[in-house]
Amino acid sequence: MGGVRSLAVTSVFYRRLGLALGLACGAGSGLGQAVDFERQIKPLLSDRCFACHGPDKKARKADLQLHTQDGAMTVVAPGKPHGSELYRRITATDPDDLMPPPDSRFALSGQERELIRRWIEQGAEWKAHWAFVPLGDVALPALGRAAWPQNEIDHFTLAKLRAAGVEPSPLAKREQRLRRLSFDLTGLPPTLAELDAFLTDASPAAYEQIVDRLLDSPRLGERLAVHWLDLARYSDTYGYQVDRNRFVWPWRDWVIRAFNDNLPYDDFLTWQLAGDLLPAATDDQRLATTFNRLHPQKVEGGSVPEEFRVEYVADRNHTFGTAMLGLTLECARCHDHKYDPISQKEYYQFFAFFNNIDEAGLYSYFTPSIPTPTLLMTDAAAKQKIADAQKEVAAEEARLAKVNAAAGEAFEKWLAARPAEAVLPGQIGHFPFDEFTGGKLANLAPESKPASSSQKNKIVSGKTGNALRLTGDDGVNLGIGNFKRTAPFSVALWMNTPHHKERTVVFSRSRAWTDAGSRGYQMLLRDGRLSASLIHFWPGNAISVRTKAKLPKNEWHHVTITYDGSTRAAGLKIFVDGNRAETESHKDNLYKNITGGGGDTIVIGQRFRDVGFAGGVVDDFRVFDRELTGGEVAQIHDGGSLAALLAKPAEALGQAERATLRDYFLATANEPHTAQLAKLRTARERVTQLLDGKGEIMVMEEMRLKQRETFVLNRGVYSARGERVGAATPSALSPFPPGAPGNRLGLAQWLVAPENPLTARVAVNHFWQLCFGEGLVRTPEDFGTQGKRPTHPALLDWLANDFIDHGWNVKRLLKQIVTSATYQQASETRPALEALDPENLLLARAPRHRLSAEMIRDNALASSGLLSRRMGGAGAKPYDLTESFKPMGHDKGEGLYRRSVYTFWKRTGPAPVMMALDAAKRDVCRAKRENTATPLQALVLLNGPQFVEAARTLGERMVREHGDNVGAMVRDTFRTLTSREPSEREAALLRRLHDEQLAVFEKDGKAAAAFLSVGERRLANGLAKPRVAAAGVLAKALMNFDESVVKR
Amino acid sequence: MSRRGFLNSFGMGLGGIALGSLLQPGALLGATDGRGVMGAPHFAPKAKRVIYLFQSGGPSQLDLFDPKPTLIEKHGTELPEAIRRGQRLTAMSGNQASLPLVGSPFKFAPRGRSGVEISDMLPHISGIADDLCVIRSMHTEAINHGPGVTHMQTGSQFPGRPSIGAWLNYGLGRVNDNLPSFVVMVTKGKGGQPLVSRLWGSGFLPSENQGIRFRSGADPVLHLQNPDGIGRKSRRLMLDRLRELHELQYAGNPDAEIESRIAQYEMAFRMQASIPEVTDISGEPEHVLREYGGDVKKPGTFAANCLQARRLAERGVRFIQLYHPGWDQHGSLPGGLRTQCRETDQPSAALVRDLKQRGMLDDTLVVWGGEFGRTNYCQGSLGKDNFGRDHHGRCFSLWMAGGGTKGGTVVGQTDDYGYNVVKDGVHVHDLHATLLHLLGIDHERLTFKYQGRDFRLTDVHGHVVKGALA
Repeated sequence: MGGVRSLAVTSVFYRRLGLALGLACGAGSGLGQAVDFERQIKPLLSDRCFACHGPDKKARKADLQLHTQDGAMTVVAPGKPHGSELYRRITATDPDDLMPPPDSRFALSGQERELIRRWIEQGAEWKAHWAFVPLGDVALPALGRAAWPQNEIDHFTLAKLRAAGVEPSPLAKREQRLRRLSFDLTGLPPTLAELDAFLTDASPAAYEQIVDRLLDSPRLGERLAVHWLDLARYSDTYGYQVDRNRFVWPWRDWVIRAFNDNLPYDDFLTWQLAGDLLPAATDDQRLATTFNRLHPQKVEGGSVPEEFRVEYVADRNHTFGTAMLGLTLECARCHDHKYDPISQKEYYQFFAFFNNIDEAGLYSYFTPSIPTPTLLMTDAAAKQKIADAQKEVAAEEARLAKVNAAAGEAFEKWLAARPAEAVLPGQIGHFPFDEFTGGKLANLAPESKPASSSQKNKIVSGKTGNALRLTGDDGVNLGIGNFKRTAPFSVALWMNTPHHKERTVVFSRSRAWTDAGSRGYQMLLRDGRLSASLIHFWPGNAISVRTKAKLPKNEWHHVTITYDGSTRAAGLKIFVDGNRAETESHKDNLYKNITGGGGDTIVIGQRFRDVGFAGGVVDDFRVFDRELTGGEVAQIHDGGSLAALLAKPAEALGQAERATLRDYFLATANEPHTAQLAKLRTARERVTQLLDGKGEIMVMEEMRLKQRETFVLNRGVYSARGERVGAATPSALSPFPPGAPGNRLGLAQWLVAPENPLTARVAVNHFWQLCFGEGLVRTPEDFGTQGKRPTHPALLDWLANDFIDHGWNVKRLLKQIVTSATYQQASETRPALEALDPENLLLARAPRHRLSAEMIRDNALASSGLLSRRMGGAGAKPYDLTESFKPMGHDKGEGLYRRSVYTFWKRTGPAPVMMALDAAKRDVCRAKRENTATPLQALVLLNGPQFVEAARTLGERMVREHGDNVGAMVRDTFRTLTSREPSEREAALLRRLHDEQLAVFEKDGKAAAAFLSVGERRLANGLAKPRVAAAGVLAKALMNFDESVVKR
Repeated sequence: MSRRGFLNSFGMGLGGIALGSLLQPGALLGATDGRGVMGAPHFAPKAKRVIYLFQSGGPSQLDLFDPKPTLIEKHGTELPEAIRRGQRLTAMSGNQASLPLVGSPFKFAPRGRSGVEISDMLPHISGIADDLCVIRSMHTEAINHGPGVTHMQTGSQFPGRPSIGAWLNYGLGRVNDNLPSFVVMVTKGKGGQPLVSRLWGSGFLPSENQGIRFRSGADPVLHLQNPDGIGRKSRRLMLDRLRELHELQYAGNPDAEIESRIAQYEMAFRMQASIPEVTDISGEPEHVLREYGGDVKKPGTFAANCLQARRLAERGVRFIQLYHPGWDQHGSLPGGLRTQCRETDQPSAALVRDLKQRGMLDDTLVVWGGEFGRTNYCQGSLGKDNFGRDHHGRCFSLWMAGGGTKGGTVVGQTDDYGYNVVKDGVHVHDLHATLLHLLGIDHERLTFKYQGRDFRLTDVHGHVVKGALA
């Protein structure tokens, strides 16, 4: 008990402690003592009454609300328990009258009833829930003379300690403070050099200098990021069942960078929520929004896309709520929140902020497309190259216009000697569908192959000769049509549809619908309207146009789509019965290739897991490898109009007719035009090449052409749409800033406005938790009425105010915390204190808890000298990934020794070492980890190759440096792993350990060699293996010693 | 009490071997103590342990447990809209233009004295018909594997909730000091729909409640074996010194966390002996091995895992979860089903028989079933001897044996088309409520407060299936 003062345990102490800790005092004890509404009554009402008499309107019984003062006072007469219906009902003897109902699990104990009686008797004081009350001015508690405080924090903690009659603990030992500080700020142990320097530095500023040095270390960002990655459910794979790898680590590196650059926390939040909406958003600001896309994503075949899309938006909403607001928004998804003032409608108003991106419910199984919206990963040089190439395209387009304008003379010449026949060059497929030959259907185009189809598709009488009636389950494969997005092409057919379904595939060049992100091109009937699209990934990386008019049912119509190779919706045209149809653009944002993914040829009438053209009839199907002109389309439709024009005397041609012929001339007979088209195509291909070579990352980007509507979803079910709602914040919280936009940027402005009662409190609580293991609010995920109250409410508010007043400066906040006397206390407990405050709610000592998974592994690597300090990049794969539930090969060399924040995170089978040591699973947002001690952890630390290799490597260094001086070796190993000197007895014990092991290894040289070959790192030559092995076991033992793995 | 005195009084003087069983379980396992929050069951349990033989992928009830003469009669005709009533299908067959009904090509017959009808595909399971309670009216909202399996194992279609075994650990605590109470084994080398570790996860419950997966092979538990070059004796020597070091530390700072650390290492050391003991089947007599079939000697097969399950059950492991993937017959159902049945039929029946012979079936609940059933119509094209069935959540079959269930019974009924439940439907939540009931737990009273609300395995649903109880 050295140095720990004993407590004066008196009845007064117990009572004061009970009060200070927020314990409900039993009936009979402390009579006349003031009942605290917030601490004692509100939780009771919330827990036992709100389920039926709380914020949920639908669940509310007898129209009684006990969550508002007005409601409660209808059944409470302040000062008169026996005149209060509430008290009468909770003490009723008739079980029909008794509340809560005796057969429910909400029954009140006698003590609880007495507490309510006293509360009413004392005037039924009512206060709004603390976390929803705006931050007010907080005065420092008056302490009189007090030498202990180092800064303001200590005024609050000391005031509370004094009220409880408890002394703070003494200052922790110097080496302990340094070790604690190093782990808390950088996640790594101090080096022995740092330790020695600090131990010998007598200057009063020594501690602060270390704090400043650590705050400036790039290791700080790596340490702080781990917690944010848990909140952001960061993972290098998509999750759910199939769980493919995904490219999101640039976001993780941004987080680390943001912490190291000390990006103000309000910006840190704003960028992540709405960086894309900031004026002139930088790539970094857009990259930050990847935060919202890190939820699990689905690819499993047969899933309903909308079900999962809704799940993604909900996850965004919940993560925002938990990480930034400390609210359990998810509780209001299916009904009004039972405990907090958030209605179901308000839940969906939040939801609306996150709903307006052009995303799919499933990612693509057959292609590696990145789910949209995305950000292209480019640096300045690449951006310049792309811009230059795009400029070149514009220049070639201008030249094309010039060439066309200059073709007047040539046109007149041609007109004078034009061909008589309407030749349509470039036809690469022509399928009349007149008869089956085997499973083949003839192709009339020169040098071509026939189409193939199941004969379940039937030959029927058609528009021209016979036609093909489709089953909808059997496709007709034309064997041609793998066009790039830079290639002009046209497709024409006669079709007759018996129905107008929500969706019907007429034809496509695509492996599958959702399972390939619709990669390719396609023509569909959507509710009877023709829709043509070119797609890299549907819906965000595509162009798509749709006719305004419906195609009449049960009639033959001729349909042509033409495309000019421009990658613009305006370049995609639909013709019906020879005339250009009026269309609207649905998507106009294609920036990657449309080839690939399989299904390289046009298939009519069916697509994998899509809705086939059942009962549809098609005839005379033609494919061209160029953009047809209007005259040509008309010619195909009526078989004669272009020919008629060609035959018509020049002087008889009207304006429009001349224009039609001119287009035909340019497209088919004008050499300069053809040559310029080729140049333009080359320029476009250059852009395509540049873009296709760039990676993409999922980000947020608002839908521009059309906003997505948001509805209340009854029972939270994706398909049960109720009332339509817009984006808004809940009425019980601070008002939406006047003039702020009604989108995520406005949401961010609302979030970080000083009026918001939650954001700063939640933020400082996270950072407090990083240093103390527990927050001032011990339910960091729930600041609502069912969460825990702050242990030090005034301190929390003071810190939050101060944080806002100083520009949300994270490093400054951390410095305040770690330089406080509260933080620097010893962690040893005192028996009386342990008995009375086992959870350390008073902060009468520093906390002690096992280091996090990352710290334990990084500590082993750092102590042994194996740690790589390289920052950023793709996830590293250490040894244990081969043992994961979804095993994968481990890295060679440096990748084995990188900091754990960089460990590749596979959602369905995370790194076993991380899992054994209680790292968050990252399926969903988590604000706090557990801290357990299990035998499985012991097995990992004792036997896992990472830890064995680290131990033997440390042993090797010890032998190299100390030879057979076992005493020096023991001291050095001990200090390296615990940051302190061993006592005489400890040193003797460890020498014995070493000698015993040495004896074992000297007897069994093979064992020593085997032990020293665990892991990839080769042992240096010339060292006695038994000695190195024994030193390795010594290190191993100490790596498992409490003071090596527990922060004390 | 001095540290030395403390240790002596707990029998730790020599080598610390007996420590774990005497020390407070709470010290061993951290956050919640090993005794479980319930202390005792809510009422007298019928079952003390569960062996859940999860058949992942969705076994075809229409070809195994739920005979439908009507489908044979109407084979090849379209699924009537009057039966389907617009219910959602998966996006795999939902857009098919034609949905032809498929009658099962496999023969059904009444089995045992009870006459429960089971198909010829399962001759061994047919042989234990009088021990089975077949539920033909299981139903779920899930229509895809991920949500379906997650629902069956955690009571929710979406990730994040604790699994059944984790709830039991949390409620009832640890049984055996040398073995985990919740063990998971997955048949090795099967393709099929992937399984994920959250299926035996602890969700928001403390993580020590999660299932421990036994892998086939030398290291059933991660890093159970000492590294190369470290023998059990030299490890013991090291641990003895480490313990002494911790005792010294404790003398200066009497902190329960240090005791807990000592216990943690001692239990790990004991597990290094107890787990190889349980996974070593060399002592099993040949006639027992023969019962489980030829696969039993191949580590990681379903047969080997069934035998392992019995050995774990004997040693007090409470929840043993097996997974056998591969039941996802979208196409080529007859061939695929044959393979699945060959792998599982004999070992499943052998396990029930083996338990019965040892007098353990009375208090061991065996559950056999998947996450949903399969459609009465064909997915893809209906061939002469070939067809496939898509996922179907409206009805499916599952059986239980022992542990207080009523043998030789059928619960529930589906319509003549095998499409909808018409009598005594059993939802996933009802199955969970029943399972907990058999273990002496009121499913409404085993709760955990998380994010401000009380959660339970059955969420806000669930009724005990009375007809399944003996």
